[in-house]
Amino acid sequence: EAAPLPCSGGAGGLAQWVLVELQGEVEPRQSGGLGGSLLGDLHYTREGVPVLIVGHHILYGKVVQLEKPFAVLVKQGAAEPGPVGPHTRYAVTALIKTKLLFKTRPKPIITNVPKKV
Amino acid sequence: GAMRSRSEVDATLQTAKLNPAELMPVVQCLSFTPQAGSGECCLLQLEPGLCAELEAGRSLVIRGEKDEQAVLCSKDKTYDVKIADTSNMLLFVPGCKTPDELNADQASCNIIHSQIAGFSNNYWELRRCRPKLKKLRKLLMEDPYEGPDSQKDQTLTFSKYTTEDLLSLIQASEEEIMHQLEVIDACKIEGYWRILEFDYEMKLLNHVTQLIDSESWSLNKVPLRTCLEELGCLEPTEMIEQILLSYGRKYIDDGEVYFEMREDKICRAIAQMLLQNAVKFNLSEFQEVWQQSVPEGMTTRLDQLKGLALVDKSSRPETIFLLKVEDLPENNQERFNSLFSIREKWTEGDIAPYIQDLCAEKQTVGALLTKYARSSMQNGVKVYNSRRPIS
Repeated sequence: EAAPLPCSGGAGGLAQWVLVELQGEVEPRQSGGLGGSLLGDLHYTREGVPVLIVGHHILYGKVVQLEKPFAVLVKQGAAEPGPVGPHTRYAVTALIKTKLLFKTRPKPIITNVPKKV
Repeated sequence: GAMRSRSEVDATLQTAKLNPAELMPVVQCLSFTPQAGSGECCLLQLEPGLCAELEAGRSLVIRGEKDEQAVLCSKDKTYDVKIADTSNMLLFVPGCKTPDELNADQASCNIIHSQIAGFSNNYWELRRCRPKLKKLRKLLMEDPYEGPDSQKDQTLTFSKYTTEDLLSLIQASEEEIMHQLEVIDACKIEGYWRILEFDYEMKLLNHVTQLIDSESWSLNKVPLRTCLEELGCLEPTEMIEQILLSYGRKYIDDGEVYFEMREDKICRAIAQMLLQNAVKFNLSEFQEVWQQSVPEGMTTRLDQLKGLALVDKSSRPETIFLLKVEDLPENNQERFNSLFSIREKWTEGDIAPYIQDLCAEKQTVGALLTKYARSSMQNGVKVYNSRRPIS
């Protein structure tokens, strides 16, 4: 069985996406999973350092050009469990050449600061 | 929920005690699409060259039957596919901008809402591997072509394969498959790839060598046209031409097509014809008969038989027997097990032709021996034996 990976891409070819790599897991604030929920605000310092504010944490990261880019594959048709099955079809939907790597320990944001009287 | 506003972002910055003056003006608010957790997206890590191929519009193909481990093929290379886990979370964000892109983009907005299309804690990892071509020969040997007079071909058999069939069944890239078809002298007959049955192949070769002899042609200048004229009544002209292509090198001289006959290949084929009739032969007797059997002007040498036959120098008298590398297992460990069960100790010279095809892109025979065998000295000669007991 041969499953070709067709490429979807507009006139400009394949879309370029970005990877955001976070340490550990991201947990949803409310029950019902992550779908549709907010992750956080992504800023860059004037020097280009990415700063991600997630919940009560500040994450500092760096922009990394990937030595080995990724292709993003999207399952087509009937979804079958497992990565490769005889009837699983995938399409290449985008390429990822850059990642934002957040590896530093998150700095908690202290929200209740007693005001000076 | 409603999308974040710029003032909400600014409030968060203030709470976080970040100085907006130290930040670029544009913020990207990242949220997950409703389908982000569905697992429909996955990541494939690309080996060098594959990214450029995808950008050039070429496609990649996953090949493998239910009982086979999947491989990924580009137009000319084959890769094993494995899942690599990471302890980190990987989010894929379509619209995410890097600092360079934001600097270049003189947009007036100061807030972008970007959606995270999916996330994963693993990705597909590729490792270049040898194309799995043993199956190709196996498929074509299901129904070797025995000539137009054979009764077999009159009946409809389903053991015939077109190029498309082979592409979907063989775990290798198209170029690797096409190259292998050439290596094994396969030919297309009525749209199907066929291997010639050995006896029929020798029959064709014999027609040609006899004609060369009776016409007293130089072995380097065998004219195609005359061969087809003289032999076309005996065999289909396509088959005459096929045997010349397999056993000669085609060239054009003064507008005419000639073949320079390949001495090594012809001698090798005749050796196979002689050796297949018994389990083993007295070496010196074999060498005598062999030399007498090859066309006038050709010289037989034992090194023409690498990967085809093995000489047993330990027996008295010395003997020779057929051992074809293509009959041995494709898997590295199984190949070595098989070789060590045939003979306990091998010199590098004897074993090299039987493991050469296992070498990966930059791997040497020596590296394979280091990995799969143990060496020792025997009578001043370095020999290799199995690392483990062979049952």
